[in-house]
Amino acid sequence: MSDRKSMINRKVKEYSYVLILLGILIAMILIISMASPYFFSWKNCRNILNQSAIYLVISVGMTLVISAGQIDLSVGSVIGFSGMVMGMMSLNGAAPGVAIFAGLLSSFLIGILNGALVAYGKMNSFIVTLSTMTIARGVILILTNSQSVFGFGTAFTFIGSGAVGPVNMPIVISLIVALIGAVILHKTTFGNYCLFIGSNEVALNRSGVNVRRYKMIVFGICGLCAGIAGMIVTARLNSAEPLAGQGYEMDAIAAAILGGTSMKGGKGSIIGTIIACFILNVLKNGLTILSISSHYQEILTGFILIISVLISEYHEREKREV
Amino acid sequence: MKAKVVSVLLCMAMVTTMAVGCGSSSDSSESTDSSKKESTEAEGGDAEETGEQTLFQQAEAQVDEDLAPLPDKDSGKKLAAIESTLSNSFWVTMQEGYEDAAEEYGVSIDIQATDSDTDTAGQLDILNNMLVQDYDAIAVSPLTEDCLISGIVSANQQGVTVITTGNEVNEEALEEAGGSLDAKITVDFHNQGVLGAQYIVDQNNGEGQVAIIAGNEGATQSDARRDGAKETFEKAGMDVVAVEQCDFDAQKAYDAATAIIEANPDLVGIACGNDDMALGVVQALEEKGLNDQVTVVGVDFTEEAKAAIEDGSYDASVAMSPYLMGKEAVIIMLKALQGEDVSSIGDSTPMAVVDADNVDQMSDWH
Repeated sequence: MSDRKSMINRKVKEYSYVLILLGILIAMILIISMASPYFFSWKNCRNILNQSAIYLVISVGMTLVISAGQIDLSVGSVIGFSGMVMGMMSLNGAAPGVAIFAGLLSSFLIGILNGALVAYGKMNSFIVTLSTMTIARGVILILTNSQSVFGFGTAFTFIGSGAVGPVNMPIVISLIVALIGAVILHKTTFGNYCLFIGSNEVALNRSGVNVRRYKMIVFGICGLCAGIAGMIVTARLNSAEPLAGQGYEMDAIAAAILGGTSMKGGKGSIIGTIIACFILNVLKNGLTILSISSHYQEILTGFILIISVLISEYHEREKREV
Repeated sequence: MKAKVVSVLLCMAMVTTMAVGCGSSSDSSESTDSSKKESTEAEGGDAEETGEQTLFQQAEAQVDEDLAPLPDKDSGKKLAAIESTLSNSFWVTMQEGYEDAAEEYGVSIDIQATDSDTDTAGQLDILNNMLVQDYDAIAVSPLTEDCLISGIVSANQQGVTVITTGNEVNEEALEEAGGSLDAKITVDFHNQGVLGAQYIVDQNNGEGQVAIIAGNEGATQSDARRDGAKETFEKAGMDVVAVEQCDFDAQKAYDAATAIIEANPDLVGIACGNDDMALGVVQALEEKGLNDQVTVVGVDFTEEAKAAIEDGSYDASVAMSPYLMGKEAVIIMLKALQGEDVSSIGDSTPMAVVDADNVDQMSDWH
């Protein structure tokens, strides 16, 4: 009996930060619902989930990278890059499936390139991905002549604006990605190694694990996630914009950190990232519905981030003391 | 544990502040109302005293005349507008136009804008977020021709009136997606080119060599201004010796002007695609001491341009009014909601050519 009690206790402790996040989310939903009659409806809920989809997908990849003690600043540019590849392939008559495959492959390869430079080139991931971020954006601007690429078939735009029953495609895709991400991080050896790389790379290497290869793959996954996000953005807008995804890397980092993933590596939570994504998007949606300028949103996002990291840090210390 | 509770409370407090922030926004609109009333009184006083209107008042009257019959007041309609980023003064001024006109017609308007010029997906999100509220009509200024198409289609399906203000959408793609616009308010860029060039023609009695400094090749406003200027010069019988694309970059315009004047020392006029480039040209001419010989015109009537016209270094700029554009948008939305067909109303936004003679009348132009 008391065993069970202490187990529940432990579980609650383990998830208490996630519970706090959930509390914040519910409180926000309640307050905005009271302030506006339009907020709490299935239609608006679908709106929020739909808009969260892009952020959710890139944040999952970012959570993995940050758990491994790295950072990937190139995701915004990769979103634009995969969209451009899909757009140009479609325009040249490729079937939607082929165009999507090419786009996703290109984003995966950019991720692998990032990972290779970090793991084998022994460079700092911040610098590597900052460089690939600007290089990829430059390539997009040159290849598209800074014009947007448009003219997709309905099969492709279905990914962005179609729906399966009452649920939009982007929501379905993002939830699948989040589920896979959660399984990878929390249930597989690969996920364990990710967290291990973040907390003690040297020890892991000494124990005979090929750390470099895992590092490369984790960046590859993050690139692939950005590619999927690029697919959704392009399909939703029905056009591949040369500047698509600009600045999204910051949103992804914010969501991952808010979700309880530690910048120092070694600690990550996909469920936390999911809730954090919803918090940020409920805020965005709520402010629009309440007709508050988007400038306030930036201030609030910053505050929420600082406070949540304070809570998380405090929480860590308390756990260690126990 | 206590600290945890405190932190949660802090978060709650923060979110509450947000809700309070919303309450205070209506206060600020009231304060703009009162300032609006003051300015209308001031305008009335001016007109009685001098018996003539400023250019801006004339333009405002022109808008009302063009859009007659004007819609009924106090219809209680709920309007909304989505602009491009408010870090650009053009959109801020347009927002004032929206708000003042809504006030004048006794309707409500909510205005949202994107964080940046490039956040196309964010703009679509804003439109979708607005569609869950029961707005009667929404005016949008799309960041790109394609980014809002799916949102406009959903608005159509919900029976919300949609018009575009300033920027345009790709109508072919919109039609393909099964959507349509109720009206579009565009800027007549071609006419901006014509007006500027005509000023040079008038100043030089239609004789002599002229050059055109255009923006970037392929951009709608740039090409239209360039072509408008070119046609006007040619019709007047002037000799167009050079047409340079300078990407709206003052430095490139400076370099181009230096080269053109070197090759054509008798040049009498340069028509530019915007004020930034025109001021670059003015700089080049000043260094060669040819300021008086060459008439320079630009487009936009920026603050910098205004100062240069006042001190006499710059000749003239074509001004248009984002304020009146916002006002037009409100009137057109209301007309559409009354069941009138407004699809043919297009680019009636008034423009004015500003030079040293009338720049002092432009203090209220916005």
